[in-house]
Amino acid sequence: MSASVALAGISPASPPPATLPATAGRITFAGVSKFYGEVLGINRVHLSIPPGITSLVGPNGSGKTTLMNLMVGLLKPTEGDIRVLGIPTHRPEELFRLVGYSTQYDAFPRCLSGWQFVYSYLRVHGRSHAEAEALAAKAIERVGLMEAAPRKVAGYSKGMRQRIKLAQAMAHEPTVLILDEPLNGLDPMARAEVIGLFRDLAAAGLYVLVSSHILHEVDRISDQVILLNGGYVVAEGKIQGVREEMEQHPMQIAVRCDRPSLLAARAFEEDHVVEVKIAPDRRGLLVSTRDADGFYLLLNRVVLETGLVVEAVAPADADVQSVYQYLIGSNGGKA
Amino acid sequence: MSAEPLSTLSTTPAPPPPPSIARGLPWDLYRRQVAAILGLEVRKGFFGKRALGVYFLALMPVTILALRAIVSRAFGSHSDPVEVARTFAISFQTFFLRLVIFFGCVEVFGNLIRREMLERTLHYYFLSPVRREVLAAAKYLTGLLVSFTLFGGATIASFFFAYLPCGLGAFFHDFGQLLAYVGVAFLACLGYGAVFLTFGFFFKSPAIPAVIVFGWEAINFLLPPFLKKISMIHYLESLCPVSVPLGPFAIPADAPSPWVAIPGIFLLTAVLLAISARKIRQLEISYEED
Repeated sequence: MSASVALAGISPASPPPATLPATAGRITFAGVSKFYGEVLGINRVHLSIPPGITSLVGPNGSGKTTLMNLMVGLLKPTEGDIRVLGIPTHRPEELFRLVGYSTQYDAFPRCLSGWQFVYSYLRVHGRSHAEAEALAAKAIERVGLMEAAPRKVAGYSKGMRQRIKLAQAMAHEPTVLILDEPLNGLDPMARAEVIGLFRDLAAAGLYVLVSSHILHEVDRISDQVILLNGGYVVAEGKIQGVREEMEQHPMQIAVRCDRPSLLAARAFEEDHVVEVKIAPDRRGLLVSTRDADGFYLLLNRVVLETGLVVEAVAPADADVQSVYQYLIGSNGGKA
Repeated sequence: MSAEPLSTLSTTPAPPPPPSIARGLPWDLYRRQVAAILGLEVRKGFFGKRALGVYFLALMPVTILALRAIVSRAFGSHSDPVEVARTFAISFQTFFLRLVIFFGCVEVFGNLIRREMLERTLHYYFLSPVRREVLAAAKYLTGLLVSFTLFGGATIASFFFAYLPCGLGAFFHDFGQLLAYVGVAFLACLGYGAVFLTFGFFFKSPAIPAVIVFGWEAINFLLPPFLKKISMIHYLESLCPVSVPLGPFAIPADAPSPWVAIPGIFLLTAVLLAISARKIRQLEISYEED
């Protein structure tokens, strides 16, 4: 699949402008491609990412990590231009005052304790001893590892290693936090805590970019998503908006009401309604429609005309998992 | 995993870069970053089991000469200082320079970048606000500090044990020679260090190029004069205070003067460090391919 679904939450990416304006407040990719020899990493990517939590979603090998590595200059684009809040990625001395990146590599410098790991790289940033100590303590406390901090990282569990990496990435209080599979290896409790942390960071105005295979959690945390497949961006924006743009897949709307048969009969009179299924308990129905707004208007009319009692109305397939399934064609590795 | 809850945070925007960045090169920041990298590198690389090989190399000549001194003392034999000077010169030029310092530098400098690639930890530096050239310089200085401390120290200790059977009078009489040997050891670490740091960017394993360079340096005495000039050992030997016979098959050549040899080694080092700086600037992190 190569065509990108039109943007619904982020600024338009298709057709791409020759140069992206107002790059200073966004993370921008302008016509970026990356090839490893003849192997495609990502191709012709145009993005403009605002603050908030943005999730990168796609199957293995879709280009998520390549995109992240390009964003921080660990890889250089074969063509195109990348800027993070206006800073080109080949200037690490400026870039990494604003950016923190927790990679997927589960590797740590030898012989260091969790505390030394976070503290030492703050010193490498050029921070004074006192500053580095204060920032390291704050970051380690945020991820709940103060007790384990004096122990060698080599003795940590997978979840603790993920958390200390997270602490190291955000210890210098960056504006942009990029996290490659940050929920891997975390138990459910820790996941919930880390997701809460991401939300706090996003609420404070940070740019939080997260790649994840765990679609229902992506759904819970994302302000916007970028769906990748085979090195191409296949969709991006707020998930609801992305879903609405997918006209070839009728929207599914679930309605809980007292007389589903009446509503079903009225729905079938509309051209845009493709399918209606009555719920087995006969207390609701599932409508497939090519015009969600048209259906909501119909529903209002039926309520007014017949006194239909409606308990709940909700889109049934406007989540990341459904969009992923429609666009990429698998269940996205449900977890 | 600790069950401590994640604390709520109050994030503040990252501090702006130091104003000196806008005005020019922030030398004070570079100095702090180099010091921090140096401390971290020494802790990571030279206080663990992985450093045992380098310690072994440095201690080998010291141990041999110490045992020789003990045996001489035990048997009450007294050595001739002229003979000791000649013997030390041979052992320094054939064993110390060509083997101990050479392979010590292969181990120390050849792994400064390459080992971090293999262990997948180089990205932590690359994700810090450090100019890559500053990182290369800091890594090189770490190697130089460690190798010179070890091999310079080993030179001093070996010289002391070599002269011990002659007494302290002879040791202090030839103290000028010791300073020259320490200087040569420093230049050897400087030059070979730059060579193997640079090789670390071009080769996955430093062993193969090291063996090739070792072979080239080993047959230096057989090479025609114009080829001798493109080997490090030719310049280092010319700076040693006592010359040694090279054997019947050696092709004689004029030794370069110190005014050529010393600046030549510094120039070569500068060129190689410039190449390393360029390579590290272009380096991508793609551990899967390594």
